[in-house]
Amino acid sequence: MTACHLALFGCNALAMEVAQRLRAGGQDFVMVDDDEALVEQAREAGFRVQRLDYTLDESLREIGLGSRIQGIFCLLPNDSQNVFLAITARAMDPALRIVAVCRQPEAASKLMAAGADKVVDPYAISGARAHDLIARPEVVELLEETVFGQQDLNIAEVTLPRDSWVGGRRLSELKRHMRQNILLLGVVDAEHGRDLIFSTRNIDHKLDAGDVLVVIGAREQVEAFRAMVAGSAAPAR
Amino acid sequence: MSLGSQAIRLAYWLDALPQYAAFKALVYDWLVNPRSRRRVWFDSAMIVLILGSVFLLIYEAHHELGDYAGLFERFVMLALIGEYLARMWLYSASRKILIEHYEHAELIGMRFRLLPALWAVARSKLAYMAQPMAIIDLLAILPSYRPLGFLRMFLLFRLLKLFRYTRSLNAFAKVVVEKRFELFTLSVFVGSVVLISSIAVFLFETGVPGASVRTLMDAVYWAVITVTTVGYGDITPVTTEGRVVAMVLVFSGIGVISFATSIVVMAFHEKMRELHDNRVFSEVERLNGVTIVCGYGRIGQVVAQRLADAREAFVVIDKDEAAVARARAQGYLALGGDAADGALLRALRLGQQATRILCLTHDDVINVYITLTARQMSPDILVISRANKQETVPKLRHAGADHVVRPYEVVARMAAEFVGQPVAFDALHDVVTGSKGIHLEPLPVPEGSRLDGSRVGEIDFAAGNLLLFGVIRGPAAEPPQEHNHYEVAGKRFFFNPRPGFRLRAHDILVLIGYDVSLSHFRAQHRQTAPGWWRGRR
Repeated sequence: MTACHLALFGCNALAMEVAQRLRAGGQDFVMVDDDEALVEQAREAGFRVQRLDYTLDESLREIGLGSRIQGIFCLLPNDSQNVFLAITARAMDPALRIVAVCRQPEAASKLMAAGADKVVDPYAISGARAHDLIARPEVVELLEETVFGQQDLNIAEVTLPRDSWVGGRRLSELKRHMRQNILLLGVVDAEHGRDLIFSTRNIDHKLDAGDVLVVIGAREQVEAFRAMVAGSAAPAR
Repeated sequence: MSLGSQAIRLAYWLDALPQYAAFKALVYDWLVNPRSRRRVWFDSAMIVLILGSVFLLIYEAHHELGDYAGLFERFVMLALIGEYLARMWLYSASRKILIEHYEHAELIGMRFRLLPALWAVARSKLAYMAQPMAIIDLLAILPSYRPLGFLRMFLLFRLLKLFRYTRSLNAFAKVVVEKRFELFTLSVFVGSVVLISSIAVFLFETGVPGASVRTLMDAVYWAVITVTTVGYGDITPVTTEGRVVAMVLVFSGIGVISFATSIVVMAFHEKMRELHDNRVFSEVERLNGVTIVCGYGRIGQVVAQRLADAREAFVVIDKDEAAVARARAQGYLALGGDAADGALLRALRLGQQATRILCLTHDDVINVYITLTARQMSPDILVISRANKQETVPKLRHAGADHVVRPYEVVARMAAEFVGQPVAFDALHDVVTGSKGIHLEPLPVPEGSRLDGSRVGEIDFAAGNLLLFGVIRGPAAEPPQEHNHYEVAGKRFFFNPRPGFRLRAHDILVLIGYDVSLSHFRAQHRQTAPGWWRGRR
């Protein structure tokens, strides 16, 4: 078995959807489930599938949890199963990236406590979207077609390299040097956890190496910005 | 010209007269239409009149009445007569019967005869008079006629008329009618128990010294008082045999009471639902721009919560009574039923007061069916449907859905992005769902406002803690400008426009920011610019 760094737990309809999306993104992953019929179905769809019991530590180790695998998706049908899986996986590998879905809103905090990095509530998001379609259809259409869709407008994160000229400077200073047509959405300070500081907060943040800038723009512009930030000296004005 | 042909001409004339139809519809609204507001006023007024006249009846027992009471009585009588006649008029359309008879005669080549046609009209009116409610109406009027003074007691029938005006009392009457089989069984049972025990106790007790049961009437009275577990104790059996009868009767009394209670409770339970549904229907009728949410699962709950927060009118439909109860506990308008039922959607005024429908059940098949049903009812409504499988999306579109929401796709999209750039997607997730209080908001540029005509660079978005994501503008009417833009659903989207970009009326600014900043900005720019400022342009 070749090394793949992602594992999907569950072969249900939701997991298949995720698998298709990951395959489209060129990701390499393995799907895991205990149910023979579901496993067979996923195999027929052309995915790499492994049938095993997720409650046993050694079978998890077998597929590479704790070694090769860098991220898992807990897409099992019950919240309790996902919590169990998240706890097990977190104990085996503290650096693992764990994404879980929750079916009930109460389960979100439990999954986070169990060690998940990200909890996705499909129903809450869908509900919000259904309401947005009524309340502000322009925005939904806009996002569907640009950021989520085919058009060349993407959200991207730019990590500040160690020897960047931006290190130690203020956000406002960086903005003055921005010539690209991109929008700076916010900054995640590497020292202050993972919360995004939106640039609308108007905090003139002091940037350091390792900080992540979240930007929106056309691919070419984002790349230009990335190159500009990576330089060791400020661009000529 | 014969009388017959004149009557027919009159009938046709009335039939063609729009005012006549409108007037009849108006009277229908006041008197009969179960969902009209006017009816509530009319009913309330009639209740006051009737309670007033009954109060006078009670007052009269010990006091002398003045002239005003007589006037009031006359007024009440006139109101009652007027109502009776109006209801009789509404009950059937005489002109239609006449026309029908006439056309029928024409068709088979016979001469039209007025008398049989009038008889048909009279028959339909008599059918009205034979209705229980109509009889009560009539009995309530009769005692006002002086020569029939002995009918004074029948004034109490006016109280019965209250049934007509209050829906809850009406429901009680309906319960009795609907459960007539059970109630009949019960009364046969009670009747035979009372008959047997009263005869038995009469035979045992009568003639015994010191016994209180003397006549058969005494015995029947005692049996009824005992079997209903009332037991005054004014008449009691003294012989051993009589007491045995009493003991048996007491136990059958418990059975009778519990049986009767269960029937009534059951019937009311069923009725309550109907009453509640009716309330929802009439409520919806009063509102505007109602959203119908089909399916109160997790998605339905989120949508309902958001709609409630935005103070928008909506109704929840779900097949599952437990889900409906949950929605009601939240204080939402909700009713149980199948959303694919056209009659239910029509009762909720889909296409009229209700302009949007969300099909959010967990079953794709049902969602397609609801979508199709709703779309057939009106082409103008907004239909948003949920699809769990990718294959359902084109089916929903074909069935007439304007938008499709796919819960699993959302997860897949997020999961895929999360692998590559978790931070960026977190940010977008927060903005899209508004979970951190930050929103992506459209803000139209009103004509003649301060924004209209100003350059983007002149507006200090940063000072207002806002970020300008871009500007949406209608389809291009002039040759393209130097700004590059994205085509979005037939409109142009200018991403991150340069400071020189000039805004126009009807552009839509798309802003990112916290709720407070957004509403502040909106309030600031709602009012139009002062005249001197516009004059300088």
